[in-house]
Amino acid sequence: MRRLHSESPTWCPGCGNFSILRTLDSALDEAGIDRHRLVLVSGIGQAAKLPHYTRANVFNGLHGRALPAATAIKLANHGLEVLITSGDGDMYGEGGNHFIHAIRRNIGVKCFVHNNQVYGLTKGQASPTSDCGMQTPIQTHGVMLRPFNPLAIAIVEGTPFVARSLAVDRAHLQEMMVAALKHDGGFTLLDILQPCPSFNKRNTAKWYRERVRPIGDDHDPTDMHAALDLAMTWGDEIPIGIIYRKKGRPKLEDLNPVLANVPLVEQYAG
Amino acid sequence: MDLNIRIAGEAGQGIKTTGHLLVDAFASMGLWVFSTQSYMSRIRGGLNWQDVRIADYPITSSREDADLLVALTAEALATLAEEVTEGGLILYDGNEAEGAVAIPFTDTAKQRGKAIMANSVAGGAVFTVLGYPLDPLTGYLDEVFQAKGEEVVQTNRDLVHRGAELASEHAGALQAPEPAGAPRTVYDGMEATALSAAVSGVKFVCAYPMTPSTGVFTWLAQHDEQYGIVVEQAEDEIAAVNMACGATYAGVPTLVTTSGGGLALMSEGISLAGMHELPVVIYLAQRPGPATGLPTRTGQGDLLFALRTGHGEFPRAIFAPGSPRQCHELMRRALETAHRWQTPVIFMTDQYLADLSLNMEPLDGSVRPIDRCIATDAGEGYRRYEITESGVSPRAIPGGDAFVVLDSDEHDETGHITENLEIAQAMMDKRLRKIDGMIAEALPPELYRDDDGAETLLICWGSTYLPCREAVDILRMRGISAAMLHFAQVWPLDRDAVRERIGSRGRVVCVEGNAWGQLAMILREQQLLGDAELLTRYDGLPLTAAEIADRVEG
Repeated sequence: MRRLHSESPTWCPGCGNFSILRTLDSALDEAGIDRHRLVLVSGIGQAAKLPHYTRANVFNGLHGRALPAATAIKLANHGLEVLITSGDGDMYGEGGNHFIHAIRRNIGVKCFVHNNQVYGLTKGQASPTSDCGMQTPIQTHGVMLRPFNPLAIAIVEGTPFVARSLAVDRAHLQEMMVAALKHDGGFTLLDILQPCPSFNKRNTAKWYRERVRPIGDDHDPTDMHAALDLAMTWGDEIPIGIIYRKKGRPKLEDLNPVLANVPLVEQYAG
Repeated sequence: MDLNIRIAGEAGQGIKTTGHLLVDAFASMGLWVFSTQSYMSRIRGGLNWQDVRIADYPITSSREDADLLVALTAEALATLAEEVTEGGLILYDGNEAEGAVAIPFTDTAKQRGKAIMANSVAGGAVFTVLGYPLDPLTGYLDEVFQAKGEEVVQTNRDLVHRGAELASEHAGALQAPEPAGAPRTVYDGMEATALSAAVSGVKFVCAYPMTPSTGVFTWLAQHDEQYGIVVEQAEDEIAAVNMACGATYAGVPTLVTTSGGGLALMSEGISLAGMHELPVVIYLAQRPGPATGLPTRTGQGDLLFALRTGHGEFPRAIFAPGSPRQCHELMRRALETAHRWQTPVIFMTDQYLADLSLNMEPLDGSVRPIDRCIATDAGEGYRRYEITESGVSPRAIPGGDAFVVLDSDEHDETGHITENLEIAQAMMDKRLRKIDGMIAEALPPELYRDDDGAETLLICWGSTYLPCREAVDILRMRGISAAMLHFAQVWPLDRDAVRERIGSRGRVVCVEGNAWGQLAMILREQQLLGDAELLTRYDGLPLTAAEIADRVEG
């Protein structure tokens, strides 16, 4: 019988996911997360394989459906830390509807999106965040659709924590991951720009490094209009850092009277 | 004897309110009551009606004709007058109508109170033409309106008496059944199901609203704090079923409610529950399709779809109760089956059964949470998908000493992704092995009136149970040797038990609310059915006992 083994990471050499994986492990430790109380939730894609390569509880579900599963896990046991690791196709494409409604719910889950602006698992088609003009085996005349702007949408819909980082800048990424893990205001979005050396020849590691600019101390992340300006900045300059913080929005799990005392799963008497 | 009352008019005219009033008042007298609704898909306008059938013996089916029509609009009068029996009576809400007793219910109510109180006037008139005393009616109104104050109570009482006065010329015009000591408690299929879910320990309910499933969703939402249930309205059915996977993974019994179109969107998620081995239970209230179909009508057209939905091969169970009592029993069994075998279960009902109400002995409302079959001793080295003889692996939940790892990809015993094809086959075999155990505890189909080995066997499933049973009674009264075989569990089947009960008959008739005879197709595929006739109905209305009996007699 033919045997295939793939119990170690199946990513391409140079994939940004290796850096994200190593940084996540350090960030979880730095933030003091108890691995037994941690659930990593993912959908489908190269990014969605990440939970297999670290120590945690894992719910790897369907393409685009990490958010509904994560939402319910949090509602069923809000004592757990629920962290989604997912790609741009999974989160902003197939799961776009859930993305909008998770923000509306302000469910207290952390959402780390590995945004490489391309479909890796299916070998190089456009993703919702691909730049206009990028040619692919399907978009043979170049991408004609305007890229989806996850940060601007998240800000407009009131996401209490919106940040962006770069996979290959591990120090910055770890700082952002720890800040996100420590944030306790509800839905937490960290968009991680990630080079894909196999399929995205346009937005390479070099291309990102030349453009990213850490957001300065003069930015007031509670200023929605200033945050939107940063979120809409793309091209020669790409701001990275904490773009937006909104205080005072209650989390869904704090609003439901049934969850007022102990987590739902602990209320079960059977 | 029995008598059928039909209240008909436009949506928004309070047909349901009048229907409820009559049902509860009749039940409180000790009459047997059986009530069904028929309504068109709009909020106002159109022609809707509710039937309230009463008898001095237990009744289990609606009738196509009516002895008393209460027509609230000219259209209701014009359309439904021809379905009134000879010697029957029509009450019309107005000042004049040919062939009907005109009583201005609404105007009378407006003079004294509000238009909405017209149902009290109508109630008084109905009770009068049936020759019943008014006390049960006013007593019921007293109870209902107590909270609204003495004035409202008194106004309604007065309007009942006014209605009686206006109908006094026709007092006792219809011969009505005598009270027969029937139970006072009234349930509909929806409430019996929802109550069962709540007391069996459902803690999480997620759904996208879809008629006719919304009643259970609503009932649970309205009792969330009482039973400790988190209710989440999902953005779509895909979200709902994936939420159910997440919630069951985290350890809480979960229910998803939907109808056929929603189930179609859930297809991939049901397959995920099969792969993840999660106890996801889906309440599927059918309406006629394809596509949007007839949103407010009834049908049994989704059996094959429920059996096949979800790609790949994995175990599932399908329950199809036939009465409100069975709804109550089988919702619990559906939850238990899902948890014992860690696999999706579909509970099938339809608009007819969800909405039909009848009186019966009170259901058990005590909270008795089911056993979730959770391994509490899992620790380091735990394997979520340990290969076992039964196919069932110990199920731990996240948050304890064990890491619980689930993957929608094929996985090894620890739950991690694998492309090792030997492991893949072993995992398929493990999951499919669960079917053997599920068959061993499957409910055998119920035989009714077969003590003498009936010549003719009516085979049915789900909501055709009550009409079919009554059809057997009618056929036997007509001297035809008939019995019924009803499937309350449609999948998996204990083939020996089914074969033995079908036996050898002169004639087998499959009675179904769909065009193809979908249970018959399943039974044929399982080589359990030889020559059989189909008796089907798929115009959006339920089969009635009389119709089944007449068509069987030919």
